[in-house]
This record gives sequence, structure tokens and C-alpha cells, in this order.
Amino acid sequence: MQSEKYSQYVDIMVPLFRALQNYRLGNLVDSYQAFEKSANAFIQEFRNWDSAWALDALHVVAYEIRVLAERADRELGAIGKNPEKLKGAGSFLMKVFGVLAGKGPKRVGALYVTCQLFKIYFKLGTVHLCRSVIRSIETARIFDFEEFPIRDKVTYMYYTGRLEVFNENFPAADHKLSYALTHCNSRSEANIRMILKYLIPVKLSIGMIPKNSLLEKYNLTEYSNIVLALKRGDLRLLRHALREHEDRFLRSGVYLVLEKLELQVYQRLVKKIYIIQKQKDPNKAHQIKLEVIVKALKWLEMDMDVDEVECIMSILIYKNLVKGYFAHKSKVAVLSKQDPFPKLNGKPVGS
Amino acid sequence: MEIPGNRLRPLLLKRTISAKHDQASNVRPLSVLEDTLNYLSNLWDSTEHPFEVVHDFIFDRTRSIRQDLSMQNIVGGQVIQLYERMVKFHVISHHKLRRCCGNSNISSMHHLNMEQLTKAVTSLYNLYEANRTSHSIYENEAEFRSFYVLLHLGSDSQPMGESISLWFRRVPSLVMKSKEMCFARRVLRYFRLGNYKHFICTTEAEASYLQYCIIEPYICEVQALAVCCVNYGGYKLNPYPLEDLSRLLMMKESDVESFCSGCGLQIYTDEIGKKFLPTKQTNFSHPKKVFQNYSLLQSERLERAAAECSKLL
Repeated sequence: MQSEKYSQYVDIMVPLFRALQNYRLGNLVDSYQAFEKSANAFIQEFRNWDSAWALDALHVVAYEIRVLAERADRELGAIGKNPEKLKGAGSFLMKVFGVLAGKGPKRVGALYVTCQLFKIYFKLGTVHLCRSVIRSIETARIFDFEEFPIRDKVTYMYYTGRLEVFNENFPAADHKLSYALTHCNSRSEANIRMILKYLIPVKLSIGMIPKNSLLEKYNLTEYSNIVLALKRGDLRLLRHALREHEDRFLRSGVYLVLEKLELQVYQRLVKKIYIIQKQKDPNKAHQIKLEVIVKALKWLEMDMDVDEVECIMSILIYKNLVKGYFAHKSKVAVLSKQDPFPKLNGKPVGS
Repeated sequence: MEIPGNRLRPLLLKRTISAKHDQASNVRPLSVLEDTLNYLSNLWDSTEHPFEVVHDFIFDRTRSIRQDLSMQNIVGGQVIQLYERMVKFHVISHHKLRRCCGNSNISSMHHLNMEQLTKAVTSLYNLYEANRTSHSIYENEAEFRSFYVLLHLGSDSQPMGESISLWFRRVPSLVMKSKEMCFARRVLRYFRLGNYKHFICTTEAEASYLQYCIIEPYICEVQALAVCCVNYGGYKLNPYPLEDLSRLLMMKESDVESFCSGCGLQIYTDEIGKKFLPTKQTNFSHPKKVFQNYSLLQSERLERAAAECSKLL
């Protein structure tokens, strides 16, 4: 590397080799630091090249810097120091994003870098930082979403879909996660499973229930009892399922979404009572004594008095899960003769 | 991660001269800061001045105490206690400022107090994390963590900080399973489901005074929801007795009457003087005026808790 013409590659290659050597020796922090130096030199050169010939190499750098930073942080944590390498990798990638956000052919690489940034922010818990990158991708006129490679679009929709789940925007979450699902490679079961993990709670919230075969195929059986509870109107089972998998649901951030399914479970329970009454006496079926609901709940080992049941009925009516009214004096719920249990039809409760 | 628990880290004195820091540019050591906070605690009960004045005075000084603490990067049990006391101050102010009607500045004071409450609480949580030596949690940690959940009850308020689902991911399991957090999570569930009866009952029966201070603004919202649902779904020929409504809302019957008027609804009185809320009225609207003149929940337990708690800052 004596010739001046190639001197810029020295700055890229030498630290890269140092990084590799340190990696083999298990010195992850040193490895990361050397790699970061190499990456910075690389991006300096990349900036000057007009064509996008090195985009694949850039993608490798973006991926490696994140993974290496995660491992370096683990090493730092183990020796009692402050883990800040992943944060540094995030800053580097923001710089890379800036380089790609231009009118030239390099711009199709921006979504890949965005996805690496998402993974970093999700790992660090600084999810609010996703907002600015999302805004750049979705509003900047230089970007045409359709131009990006399909693989990057799927990953992007997966992460932005998850954000919508955290913020409980179910229609948007459904749209994005469904996009990711339909465009995902049908052979990558692990990825499909990841998408379904978030899509299922969303679908449940808008009244769509997955088949048990789907849950089994993709090993998502933590949702089996929840689905069963919705089908049966079994509130006890719902609560039990939430408790059984509480840590898992809390970690993935879907716990609150699943908790809210309680109203639909109540709706189903009241509907079952109605169906049973209809078989006995179709003329009187639409009048349900609140005491009967109390009794049904008692069979499910849920202790509620008539006032509490009246409250539940009034909420179900208000949120249009039940059509009818309740008579406070006679402690009876009177259902509408037509369509007393409106389906959600793809809309969340109460909208 | 092993951090020597109770030893103070070396002081990092940074001299930053900012316009807001109107005290001397020397940063005060921990013992001086604790003395300052003790002095402020004694002023807390002062009845010579209206509450807003006392609040304002303490507000500025606790903020500068926190600035001095964060500049020095001190960790340790003592600092945690100081932060807990300051958070307590903001929580009680949050409650009391709602009842001050004199000053026109009250709403901006209330807003600023909320801002500082959020900041103080976030710093406190970071301290809990930084000081953790084993899998245990601090004595008051569960209650103070529950404040975050209760601060995020409101569906329409912009979450200050991250959404609650994201926040839950990072809370230690011991905290999540604690009595105080379970209470807060249940109250959150009732609020989100619109289960007004359980929301009101559970708050009355189980909330600590500090938790109640944070929940209180939402009680009015939930009581309005209850009246709204009763009006919407109640049988037209069965006007709802105010006596029953008062039990449901845990409000005095006279207050229920003015509350319903505040919601645009009319009450009717029968021949023997019993009062009722006729249902299916079309004029319902959420009450705009904050009901400041009386306690929203008739609760002896909460009144007792209030008396005990506000003395110790």
C-alpha cells in the first residue's frame, strides 16, 4: 500500500484487520473501536464516490458495527463499565443515513440503514428516536418507498408496525404488520413468527380470531388460551392466560392490548346466555336478568354483585358491543331484537 | 453490574454558569443539600401564606437542589431519599394546586409542576437502577414506580416519556408484582376498559394518599363517564335514583346533583322529595369546570391518609 493512489484504503483496511484480530482474541471492546475507525474512514470515501457501487459493502459495515457494538457493550457491562458502544454505533449510522439521503442512486440503501437504526433503538429502549428517521423516510421527497428492496420494506413495516402496537393505533398496526406478513419470504418461518407475535393481538382487538393450526404451526401457543377465552366468553381463562404468560407479554409489549380483550369476552358470555335462553323460550330471550349473569360469572369463579354487572352491561352498551338498554329498577338487561351483538368487523372497540 | 452500593462516587464538580442557576456557582455538597430540604420541609405546613406562594418558593429551591445533585453525579441511598421527598412534594402540590382558585397563574404553575414531577421521577428511577446491588428493590420503590403508571392513565394526554407498554418492559419483575404496582395496573385496566364502578371502588379502598393525588384528576373523568353511560343505556321509564348514583360515584347526594347539572343533565324530584336522573337525555357533555370545592370521593380512609401524609415531607 505504498502508492498514494490507494492511501485512503490504508485508513480503512488497517483498522479493519486490527478489529478482526481483536475479535479473534476475544477483545470485543478493542475490536469495536478499531472497527468504528475503519467504518468512519470507509464512509469518508463512500461519500466521494458518485456511483453506488459500494452499497453492499456499506450494508455489511452497517450490520457489523451494530452487532459488534452489542457484544462490546456486553463486555463493558460484565466488567462494571458504562455500556455506550451501541449508542455510538447509532450515531455513526445516523451519519451514514445522512450520506445516503440524497438524490443519487445511493438513496435505495437508506432503508436498510434505517432498519439497523430501529434495531439499535429498540435494543437501547430509546424507541422515541425512531420518530425522526421515520419522518425522513416517509416525508422526504427524494425517497420513493416502492424503490426500496422488498426485504428492507418488510423489516421497516415490521418495526413501524410494532410502534403502532405500542401506541395502540390498531388500524395502522394491522396495515403495516399485514404488509410485512404478505411480503415476507414464506420460507423464513422465524420471521413470520416474529410478525405474527404482534399481528395476532392486533387482529384479536379488531375482532378477528386466528385458527389454532396457525398458532401451532408458528409456535405461538401462548395465545391459544386467549383465543379460547374469546370464543367461550370465559373471563377466568383470559385472566389465567395473562397471568401464565405475563412476563412474556410484558416483555413484548402486548400485555395491555390483550388485557383490553376483556370487553369482548364479556360480550361473548352475554351472547351465550342469550343463545341458551333463545333455545328455551325465543320470545323472552332478549330479556336477561342481571342475576343470571352474576350466576354465570360465579360458575367461572368470578365474584361480582348485581351493581358491578350492571356497570359492565352499561359499558358494553355504551361501546356498542351490545345493543339494548338496562333497567335499573328491575335489574334486567333488554337486548335489541335485531343484531344485539354487533361484530367489530375490523374496527377496534368503541370506535 | 457491581456498583459499590452506598459509597459516594467522587464528586465531579463542573462549573456551569447558567442564567437559571441563580445561586452561587459553587455546587453544594450532599449534607448541605439535605439541610436545605429539611428547612424547606418545615415551611411546608406554613399557614401564613397562601399555598401557591409556599409552593413557588419550594419549587424553585427543590429544582436547584436537583440540579446540584445531578451535576455531582452522586448515587446512594441518601440521594434516593432526597429525591423521594422531592417527588412527594410535587405530587402533593399537583393535588393542592388544583384547588387553588385565586391566582390566574395557577394553571401554568400546575403545568410546570407536572413537568418537574416527571423529571424528578425519571431521575429517581435511574437512581434506583444505578444503586441496585442484588435482586432486591428499595423500600419505597414500588409505590414511587406506581406513580408512572398512574400519571399515564389519561388516554388523551400526550405521554410524557415513552408509552406505558414500553416502560413496563424495563421494570424489574419484583416491582411489577408488588402490591402498589398491582394496584396501579388494576386501576389502569379499569380506566382503559371504562369500568367506572371498579375504578372508583378500588381507588377509594386501596389508594395511598400519594397515589390518590395523582389519580384524582381522572376520578372526575370516570364519574362523568359513569353518568354518561347511565344516561345512554338506562331504561327511559326507569329514572336512576340519585341515592344509587351517589353510592356508585362515592359522592354526596347534593354534590351528585350539581355534578349532573355540570354535565348538562336535569334532575327531577318526585312527590316525596326523592331525586332522580331521567335517562336518555340528549344534552350530556363532559363537565368543563373542575370541581374544586369538595372532595371528589367520600372516603374517611383517604381523609385520614391525607392528614398523616401531608405533614411529613
